[in-house]
Amino acid sequence: MSEAVRLPALSDGSSAAFARFLATTTGRSLARLLLVLILLAMWQVLPNRGLRFWMSGPLDIVVRLWSWVLDGSLWENLGATLLAMVLGYLIGTGIGIALGLLFGLMPRVYRVLSPYIAALYAMPKIALAPLFVIVLGIGIQSKVALVAITVFFLVLNSTLDGVRNVDRDLARTLSLMGATRFEVIGKVLVPATLPWIFTGMRISVRYAFTNTLLAELIASNSGIGFMIEYYSGIFDATGTYAAILVLVIMSVGLTELLTQVEARMSRGRGQ
Amino acid sequence: MPRVELAVPADIAEPAPAPRAEKIRLAGVGKRFVTRDREVEALQPIDLTIDAHEFVALVGPSGCGKSTILNLIAGLLQPSSGVVSYDGGTVAGPNRRVGYMTQKDTLLPWRTAADNVRIALELKCRAVPRSEADARVAQIIDLVGLTGFERHYPAELSGGMRKRVGLARTLIYEPETLLMDEPFGALDAQLKLLMLDQLQELTRQRRMTVVFVTHDLGEAITLADRVVVFSARPGRIRTIRTVDLPRPRDVFRIRFTEAFAHLHEELWDELKDEVARGTDV
Repeated sequence: MSEAVRLPALSDGSSAAFARFLATTTGRSLARLLLVLILLAMWQVLPNRGLRFWMSGPLDIVVRLWSWVLDGSLWENLGATLLAMVLGYLIGTGIGIALGLLFGLMPRVYRVLSPYIAALYAMPKIALAPLFVIVLGIGIQSKVALVAITVFFLVLNSTLDGVRNVDRDLARTLSLMGATRFEVIGKVLVPATLPWIFTGMRISVRYAFTNTLLAELIASNSGIGFMIEYYSGIFDATGTYAAILVLVIMSVGLTELLTQVEARMSRGRGQ
Repeated sequence: MPRVELAVPADIAEPAPAPRAEKIRLAGVGKRFVTRDREVEALQPIDLTIDAHEFVALVGPSGCGKSTILNLIAGLLQPSSGVVSYDGGTVAGPNRRVGYMTQKDTLLPWRTAADNVRIALELKCRAVPRSEADARVAQIIDLVGLTGFERHYPAELSGGMRKRVGLARTLIYEPETLLMDEPFGALDAQLKLLMLDQLQELTRQRRMTVVFVTHDLGEAITLADRVVVFSARPGRIRTIRTVDLPRPRDVFRIRFTEAFAHLHEELWDELKDEVARGTDV
């Protein structure tokens, strides 16, 4: 191992200096920036007129994005996507937690239903999207429904896992102290299940995002997914890439947000 | 301890020989467990009566059903045969008159030491005003020597400290009967003696009935009014010995007295065959 580390340093003084430069934070950032600038420049300069039609170019894309900012269509579509996602997420999470705790408290009822729940859980929910469009239309309702049902099963299952993993001895100890059933639920069952619920909620954020977009791509009248679908439909490469760029920014933002929340949560629990 | 003679009527000066009130009775109680492929007899039918305010220690080789007896008295298990009664009534479900300190510490991992200790006082059945609860928590935490660790989570405490949190949590609501399953197993020798001293003091002060499971014969003789020696699995009572050492006992020195040594030797003779039998299974 040490052999491999030492070798490049021995070979050439200037490359060793470059390696050291890359190891610093500024060096790394500069290298990253340089890389993307080179690629963008090549994208801007290289394609001929024929290729340009399919590939567009960085400047055109930025100009298009700016025009969307100015005419407000960016905010309108971004808002539609976020609204569908957040609404579906909240509805799915709420029902998932409630039913998860309820089934956890009534294991016999759950045992009757479990094969159906397992079957529905295993099914790719996106297959339901066309059905939702028929029933609920191409507006926001069909997206909310798809996201809600996806998130619901994820949160339901992790809540159930959590309830099933609660240490029965903790509940027993409390009931020997004279706790009522509700006190056992409030003081043992719910707090013990919370980390599992949070895990389910965290995982479902990405699913909610993906499924909102997929639903918009299938049939819709607004949203970022709709923009991608619309501009590619009219062979407008610039519009399509601009919409995808918005999507990339959204994903990065969402990932960053999740990381922050997770860091705060793991600090807050103190264990 | 100096005895103060007071000129009062005899029946007030000498409060004790109160009628021996029966608290817990096990009549022909046996327990079988069904595991995957076979049935295991954990406890052969036994008879045992424990009086109110009595301190009874159960000793015996591991797997002899001592913990099973505590679970039966707590109502967490139902006997396969016989009847467990408490205050004359049959124990059919969780027995809320007892405080049970299990071998495993069942602390809530998301609560600090102080909040774990406090939990019994938060329950509706004995709701205590916050200021009073704070004072009692501080007092009992001091008693078990955990001052300074109130805000630590169970995961941040050593095994011995967790045991003491469990003890404090059980003692704080002063149950009339205390069931303890090897509560001081994880403590070092000096700390164990301190805890035994405090336990004797508390249980005498509050006139608790105690059923104490241990594998440490010395611990049993130091604290108990009666020591019950169990045979190896399937458990049955081999002998019951009354410990007639005067109270209060000096936990730190009693083990150097002749009476203690004599009792220890006598009970060890009973126990050692069972330990040998219990281990060569």
